[in-house]
Amino acid sequence: MLVNGDPRPKKFWATPFSSLSFFPFCTSRKPTSVYGPSMLPTLNFTGDVLLVDKLSPMLGKVGPGDVVLVRSPENPRKTITKRIVGLEGDIVTFLVDPGRSDLSHSLVVPKGHVWIQGDNIYASNDSRHIGPVPYGLILGKVFCRGKLFLSDNQFDCEQMRSSTSWVFSIPMEESQVSCGHHKTLDDWHNDG
Amino acid sequence: MGMNRLQELAPFVKEALQQTAQVANLLCFLHVTNTYLCSIAKLVGPSMFPTFKDGNIVLTERISSRSGKVGSGDVVLIRSPDNPRKIVAKRVKGIEGDEVSYVLDPKNSDEQKTVIVPKGHVWIEGDNIQNSYDSRQLGPVPYALVQSRIFFVVWPPKDFRLIGNEVS
Repeated sequence: MLVNGDPRPKKFWATPFSSLSFFPFCTSRKPTSVYGPSMLPTLNFTGDVLLVDKLSPMLGKVGPGDVVLVRSPENPRKTITKRIVGLEGDIVTFLVDPGRSDLSHSLVVPKGHVWIQGDNIYASNDSRHIGPVPYGLILGKVFCRGKLFLSDNQFDCEQMRSSTSWVFSIPMEESQVSCGHHKTLDDWHNDG
Repeated sequence: MGMNRLQELAPFVKEALQQTAQVANLLCFLHVTNTYLCSIAKLVGPSMFPTFKDGNIVLTERISSRSGKVGSGDVVLIRSPDNPRKIVAKRVKGIEGDEVSYVLDPKNSDEQKTVIVPKGHVWIEGDNIQNSYDSRQLGPVPYALVQSRIFFVVWPPKDFRLIGNEVS
């Protein structure tokens, strides 16, 4: 009950919303942790913390050579990290099954889509298996890889380069390749 | 003397900051609601006739699309795979694993084709079959491109109604 001299009642309902809504503004630069073998040697197998820029895809500023976070077309709850090799209209040439043969295939990336590949082409489930990915699925551009040093409370940031550090060949076991519904060597042969 | 001026202005500056904070608060609230709960959209084009007419304003909710509960028969706003800046309204005719049959060329023949919608994708079609650019041309569309589900028409007032699973 208000009595003369009481301070103005605070608008308490506004406070939960203002703290909740702080997060969307944080997502313009969002730290994300990723793991898996498909982006070796650029990213670690056991996990990396990346700084992701969510504004660039909305502005159309991603291009070939950028490492991006993409929502998987096969599983909408999964986010995958790959490198963009070609934009719409580009001709991409890729090795269909690098561990087993030299067969390479070229195609034109259709309108509104991008061609993504993992840096570790021997163990990556990417556009070579699932096809070109619609541009609208790109969530953000990775611009920095960080290492958190717990001892001295530092966040060291290593910028993403636009190409892999080196090309290496390690024969991978069949079981290590992340499979799903993917095209095999025979499928590419049959496609012509 | 300068300090006196500053002290005079202090209450006004404080008031201005408070008002700005309140406006910022309101904008944050609107942004969160828009992104995670419920939003408004204006529809253009003939592809969803007779369910929607050109110029209808609709309410859309994001809870079903974010939790993966969009099913067959729902009308959704979906980002076009051809043009990432365009968001279109279409009806979901099949989710992953469903068999979908469609007429290849409605003007010329009755020939039908059946596809199974692949994992992680949906099959969308406009209610106005003759005049709609949808999965019959584009193919199955990844589920992750679904933005929100349309559940209510708010404008024009005579069209005020809930949108259900059937073509009305």
